[in-house]
Amino acid sequence: MPANKSDDIRIGVFICHCGSNIAGYLDMEALGSYAESLPHVAFVQRNLYTCSEGGINEIKKAIGEKNLNRVVVASCTPRTHEPLFRSSCAEAGLNPYLFEMVNIRDQCSWVHMQEREDGTSKAKDLIRMGVAKAALLEPQNPIMSEVTPRAMIIGGGIAGMTAALALANRGYEVVVVERSDRLGGMLLNLNKLGPSMADAAELAEKTVKAVSCHPKITVFTGSSVTGVQGFIGKYSADIETPAGAKKIDLGVIIVATGARNLVPAGLFQYEGEKIVTQLELETRLKKGLASSLKDFVMIQCVGARNEERPYCSRICCQTAVKNALLIREQAPGSKVTILYRDMQMYGVENEEMFRDSKARGIRYVNYDPEKPPRVEGSSVVVYNALLGREMKLPFDLLALSTPLLSQEDSDETGKLLRVPVDENGFFLEGHVKLKPLDFATDGVFLCGSARFPANVREAVAQGLGAASRASIPLSKGSVVVEPIISVLANEDACRGCGLCVALCPYGALEIHKTEKGRKVRVIDVACKGCGVCAATCYQHALTINSFTDDQIEAQIGAFLG
Amino acid sequence: MSKDVLVIGGGIAGIQASLDLADMGIKVHLVERLPSIGGKMAQLDKTFPTNDCAI
Amino acid sequence: MLDVGRHPNIRLLAYSELEKIEGEAGNFKATVRRKARYVEEDKCTGCGACKEKCPTVVPDSFNEGLGTRKAIYSYFAQGIPSTHTIDPDHCRQLNGKKCGVCAKTCQAKAINFEQKDRIVEIQVGSIIVAAGYDVFDPKSIPEYRYGEIPNVVTAIEFERLLSASGPTSGHLDRPSDRALEAELEEVEKKVERSRKALDKYEEKYGEKSIDFITKFRAGQYGDDSDKAKWAEKYEEFLPLEKSYEDLKQKVSGITVAKRLAFVQCVGSRDFRFYPFCSGYCCMHSIKEAIIAHEHERETASTIFGMDIRAVGKGFEEYKIRGGNHSNITYVRGRVAEITEGPGRNPVVTYEDTKERKVKSQEFDMVILATACAPTRGIAELAKTLGVELDKYNFIKTSPLSPVDTTVPGIFVCGCAQAPMDVPESVAQASSAAARAAEIAFQSDLEKERAVAC
Repeated sequence: MPANKSDDIRIGVFICHCGSNIAGYLDMEALGSYAESLPHVAFVQRNLYTCSEGGINEIKKAIGEKNLNRVVVASCTPRTHEPLFRSSCAEAGLNPYLFEMVNIRDQCSWVHMQEREDGTSKAKDLIRMGVAKAALLEPQNPIMSEVTPRAMIIGGGIAGMTAALALANRGYEVVVVERSDRLGGMLLNLNKLGPSMADAAELAEKTVKAVSCHPKITVFTGSSVTGVQGFIGKYSADIETPAGAKKIDLGVIIVATGARNLVPAGLFQYEGEKIVTQLELETRLKKGLASSLKDFVMIQCVGARNEERPYCSRICCQTAVKNALLIREQAPGSKVTILYRDMQMYGVENEEMFRDSKARGIRYVNYDPEKPPRVEGSSVVVYNALLGREMKLPFDLLALSTPLLSQEDSDETGKLLRVPVDENGFFLEGHVKLKPLDFATDGVFLCGSARFPANVREAVAQGLGAASRASIPLSKGSVVVEPIISVLANEDACRGCGLCVALCPYGALEIHKTEKGRKVRVIDVACKGCGVCAATCYQHALTINSFTDDQIEAQIGAFLG
Repeated sequence: MSKDVLVIGGGIAGIQASLDLADMGIKVHLVERLPSIGGKMAQLDKTFPTNDCAI
Repeated sequence: MLDVGRHPNIRLLAYSELEKIEGEAGNFKATVRRKARYVEEDKCTGCGACKEKCPTVVPDSFNEGLGTRKAIYSYFAQGIPSTHTIDPDHCRQLNGKKCGVCAKTCQAKAINFEQKDRIVEIQVGSIIVAAGYDVFDPKSIPEYRYGEIPNVVTAIEFERLLSASGPTSGHLDRPSDRALEAELEEVEKKVERSRKALDKYEEKYGEKSIDFITKFRAGQYGDDSDKAKWAEKYEEFLPLEKSYEDLKQKVSGITVAKRLAFVQCVGSRDFRFYPFCSGYCCMHSIKEAIIAHEHERETASTIFGMDIRAVGKGFEEYKIRGGNHSNITYVRGRVAEITEGPGRNPVVTYEDTKERKVKSQEFDMVILATACAPTRGIAELAKTLGVELDKYNFIKTSPLSPVDTTVPGIFVCGCAQAPMDVPESVAQASSAAARAAEIAFQSDLEKERAVAC
């Protein structure tokens, strides 16, 4: 038992200044000398940046020179930096799971910026708790698992198809599951693609053909994924197809489920005839506009950037400008006016198209969301925020720019794959800045408008990118799974009741018969270490590595002093 | 025929491309003009919209 | 970043430049010049003892010239590799003067003044261009008077002022105030030197300078040459002391910058320079205003822009949060002119398009959101690679093959292709990696491809 070894425990505590992100708000000297006073602490060092090459070398040096057998780093979040510190311990010959991280940036210096004393005292509490837990940490060994060389892509739009082709061209088997009865997604509803005015149907046809006849790609249309079991490398998916249910083994999954367009029922007297959405306008443009139409008005941010939907849907402005240009091409004498809040024509191509549209006589009227435009008969009345007066704009066709919405069932898809969605229902990536195409869940990736509204160029780039990310475990052939998982620490106590099996969200537990009767068994590679089972087990038979009852009690004990 | 990839530029884009390829088992030669990699992003203090540090 | 230095499959050639490319997709030969660092990469431990002893101070380009470094330096504290480098333009030894202090200090014996550039040849199957961008130099916009008014800075300079590891340790000290403080330090040294000289006379003659001068001026000491020198020293000392006191007064009144103006589209959406939108600058300014407010709660920021383009995931929400919680006011209008008012405060003249009025407002500091300009040397690089550029000098791609250049086997990602923010650069980097990987594994797959329809 670890308690008996306490004499041998030598903990090194490294306290990071994070430049002044931490040091600017907490009393670092006090933290340093406080850490020195804690039990088992053999070495304390403060670093300007513990994560720098210099800081890492200091940790490695101290492990050797000071004979440390536990390391605590008090710095930022384990989400970004724990892997680095763990592997540094490993490089110095210390089992990487004899490492504990304390977050004194997010939890102290950031939230208590104006309360230096209290923030410092909270940091002391957290360090004391971390040290108490570290003393009881046990070494763990990573678990290796093979990877089935097959990818499943959910969604057969341009992002999903691009990802499928990129993976298939690398020699991996790909399964594409598309809900509707044909591949193409949103692309099928579009007319021309701005700013190059490439034909959407042509691109769709070309890509669908390449996907359909690629020998490595299997397409299931009119199909949906109804169940997903397993974990990175060893997923198994239940697919409901028109030809019956199928079960397929996979290594990785890419979510490319796209988005849908808001239908603005009840807004600006929308009726789908004279007052239509931009998407409906695309269809009209595809067929050719009736020659009787002369006056066109468009309203931006319909149902977007408001309380209900605070986000900007990114691509509606460029869509409106593109359609305005096409209207002018089809109906040369026509008048097109776009009512906007901010013209979101980011980047090189969009801004160029925007400028071009002004040169071609498209008119822009800035409106204030406090005084929104209103429809009166066959006119739009709008307060022009830049002229400071109301204008009346008659229209033959009014186009409403509505945002892209997340798919209605994105929540369910998220649950199926055990990946999160954000407050707008779009899938939430692992890190909005640095891991835009990964999920926090290993082996699942995302691209296209399922992540956030994207134009075709962006969807293609993201499809390629997701394929790159997904190909990493496929090409390695095996993955290393975190060993912080559930273990049956006390087999005698287990009564084989199966309560934990029923509650495990990952299907990582099963009951089997032993000489001592029915007992639970943990499927190591499937377990995510969430702790539901350990918390449920009234016999305390199950526990989580590195989060044992002893360790957590020691932390609480340390906190209560 | 060579499988190796040459990446020109060690900013965030060059770093990400190199890591992806290297993780696939492809040998990468990363060429950076300046004495250290990191590019413009290393000069940033924090990044929107999470205010996480840039390094 | 650290991962790159540690990855067994990545060979890092920092401080190197591409000289030549021959061959074609699947079979390129690259010639790379590894510039002499005058420091042996395999010996240097990055300890930094050398730079502490180096006598030569040079403006620090990592800190946008706002701070200083030595002639031997590491590019920045967390830089990879941490190998130090000697700047051949400024090193005394390399310019024929007597020095070599760094070599004497270095315990690892890593300094090598004889090091020469080395040429290496590399065989590769594909190439990814991630050459990045340059910050537009706002000196070419005369009406903003960047470079003349000290408290007008660029967004990236402001980033360094906000940074804890930057030249001000994260305090928003204005450049004019920092110059004032530096001047005070200078004058203080002079005053001390002068004071010491006077002390010697006072000791020698047992008289205070102030008493002496009265008598001297009255002609009591005749033309004693030593006394005349004393008097001369004292006459020099008096104005010096006065300017010292004045400066001290001024410096004691310095506070950190609290009224900030952010000027959008500096060089972007501007026909004189770059007509395109740089995409990330609106969010960059909002972030800087939020962080500045975190540093100092009294900070109030005004962002002057035509459209505030917050088009990414969570961006619009971030913009609104900034307005509600971080004292940010958004003004729709383009800044016409920046002048300097009293207290070295920049004054911004702009048209408030919502109120249709031309207004002026005084700030402590103005931050210019400069355009994302094609990187210097991109034309030469494009020529070396044989790839085409677009009309702005970004690397040309087609909308439906967003990372393919005009040369098969050469791909592009990040701001070398067009201005974009970090998540887009990261996503595009993965896209380019996917395309390069297709080439790498192509030979293995040729048979399978043959059967594809």
